[in-house]
Amino acid sequence: MDAIIARLPEFVQVIEAIREIVLANVVLLGQIPSPTFQEQHRTVALLERLAQAQVDECTTDGYRNPVGIVRGTDSNRPPIFVVAHLDTPFGKEVDHDYTVGENDIVGPGILDNSVGVGVLASLPQIFRHLGLRFASDIVLAGVIQSMGKGNLRGVRHLLKTWPTPISGAVVMEGFELGRIDHYSEGMVRAEIECRTRPEHAPGHGHEPRFRPNPILVLNEAINKILEIRLPQRPRSQVIVGRISGGLKHGVIPYSAQLGIEIQSTSHQMVKSISDQIQDLVTGLGYEHEVDMDIKIISNVRASRLPFHHPLVKVASQIITALGIQPVLSHSESELSVFLSRQIPAVAIGLTLGENLHQLDARMEIGPLSRGIAQVLGVLLAIDSGICHG
Amino acid sequence: MDDTWLKRNTFHYKDFQDIERLVAVKEERGLTISVCLPTLNEEKTIGKEIVILRSELMTRFPLIDELVVVDSGSTDRTGDVARAFGAEFYRADDILPELGLRRGKGENLWKALYITRGDIIVYLDADIKNIHHRFAYGLIGPLVLNDRIRYAKAFYDRPIATGKNVMRPTGGGRVTELVIRPLFSIYFPELTQILQPLSGEYAAYRDILEQVPFPIGYGIETSLILDICQRWGMDAICQVDLEKRIHRNQDTKALGKMAFVVMQTFFRRLNRLGALTSGPPMHNQMIQYRLVGDAYVPELFTCDGFERPPMIDVPAYRSKFGRSRPAVENARENVSGLDKAPSGD
Repeated sequence: MDAIIARLPEFVQVIEAIREIVLANVVLLGQIPSPTFQEQHRTVALLERLAQAQVDECTTDGYRNPVGIVRGTDSNRPPIFVVAHLDTPFGKEVDHDYTVGENDIVGPGILDNSVGVGVLASLPQIFRHLGLRFASDIVLAGVIQSMGKGNLRGVRHLLKTWPTPISGAVVMEGFELGRIDHYSEGMVRAEIECRTRPEHAPGHGHEPRFRPNPILVLNEAINKILEIRLPQRPRSQVIVGRISGGLKHGVIPYSAQLGIEIQSTSHQMVKSISDQIQDLVTGLGYEHEVDMDIKIISNVRASRLPFHHPLVKVASQIITALGIQPVLSHSESELSVFLSRQIPAVAIGLTLGENLHQLDARMEIGPLSRGIAQVLGVLLAIDSGICHG
Repeated sequence: MDDTWLKRNTFHYKDFQDIERLVAVKEERGLTISVCLPTLNEEKTIGKEIVILRSELMTRFPLIDELVVVDSGSTDRTGDVARAFGAEFYRADDILPELGLRRGKGENLWKALYITRGDIIVYLDADIKNIHHRFAYGLIGPLVLNDRIRYAKAFYDRPIATGKNVMRPTGGGRVTELVIRPLFSIYFPELTQILQPLSGEYAAYRDILEQVPFPIGYGIETSLILDICQRWGMDAICQVDLEKRIHRNQDTKALGKMAFVVMQTFFRRLNRLGALTSGPPMHNQMIQYRLVGDAYVPELFTCDGFERPPMIDVPAYRSKFGRSRPAVENARENVSGLDKAPSGD
């Protein structure tokens, strides 16, 4: 471990010397719109970049996740995965125009997760410039359909069909440097929709003046969700994150939608709360004479790598050695899929920035070299066998 | 309509995407290549152009030997950004100041001949939002691989960014379709095979660029095509499909000024060829109107049509590069009818 930490300053120096390679990949890939379920163009571009970087193998899996493999020196070793999700929260109609300033890059999706994808594409050349060889194969995977309704389908498929055991994994997120996620809470993300019944819908004769108002019914649903008694332990919460509906000020709406997320450190608790909400939604539908349904769009099982696991400890040591205070936390990202399969993994942030999910998201260029050095250090540590036994 | 040239001299950038091969041939032929980005307040796009060109065509593959920015006096952070990513940054006013100060894209391109050292010069506009290294290697490819080609010109689709992060999928090239293509069709139909004569991306051998005059403004693309065609023939020119180029939208008035300068450049050359022998003199003011209150107020845009002479005529240049003026120069110019010295008509 000391040998790895001793090399970190060299890693930072070399990465800074070739930073335009990383920044070029961030821009070239990040400017390709890649909304969830429509990641094809970015997939093709990442494959091209990996092929141009002369990885040993370059392909897509059966679910069209692009994968590049840097062959290790020991073919008997299980591989190490490095993963970045390809999808962004912005549609194709949004102009993904990035501005590269002296110290930052600004544009939609830059932090989530164009910088992760750009670094993924750059790793083969960074390895080469640093003369890094690994005993294990390094599998560089850009996974599709991760966010929102994608429900981590890409990474789920990739791991489900991967033919060999896996040593460990690093999940790269653009934001924020210092973050070391080592557990995932249980989570259910759902959309509740409330609609007036067909007889009240437009085009069905005279509309009653006082028909049910879906927005008010959803308001009632929110009140009832807030009345659910949530335990302190296991720690649990329900987030009401989105609401939409209505046509104009003086017209009773015909439909309204509510987006909620149930989070808990216990998957059983997530399920229990989810069942309660399903029941109250059904009840409200009858009570207010509206059609109401709840649709689960995403779910994650609670899973964790213990705080004292060598991978978590080493990742903390490395980031500390790079002069950054580690922040140990959780994420319900690709990490949860690795952990639920008992594959040691951490999710780490690559740089600093602001306006994470806004059109003017901004990443800082300066800290990125330390973020990448951190990834290299963790990969070397996994390669040295810290996840075995 | 004979489209022989179109078929023979039109390429796609993918024809040249084996960059390793381009580097090998370039080195075998002992060529050096310079890229010049002319700028005026391009802080939003200059950074990514430099980062991508340096990464792909300098660090990863040594195809480009130097990357210079020639600036017309930006008041934003264009210079700081350019220097931060390792480009050589020059203010046009600081280059050959003894020849007077002029402003314009053509002026920057002309002065780039003096400060660069490449055998091949690649000119790329600095406002390309979807910059990709194909914009450079696509133009370099035919020059390096084909002895016949001396001047490579880009064409592409031109979606327009309409602001607020929204794209309009088609459009652009309005001055091309409404001005230069009709003019070419009337006077030089064979030149209509050049699909986007006003594209701002082109590359050429120094030894031809130094022998033609450079209008200081928007007329440079028109003049280069007409002058190179006339002196070296159309077969020395090729065009390369670079697919999609996204650029800033310009309002109609700005395009009107651009059209004025393009037409001015065109007619001046036509005049020298003797095609316009009578009629009223050409004026050098574009007159546009805007409504102020209930009155129409004229707005005048003056372009004196100033052109820099062939760089080979500049003694400082000949001295720096150890060059002499070609012996046939005068004879050629007499045939073409072009002035060799700057003129302000």
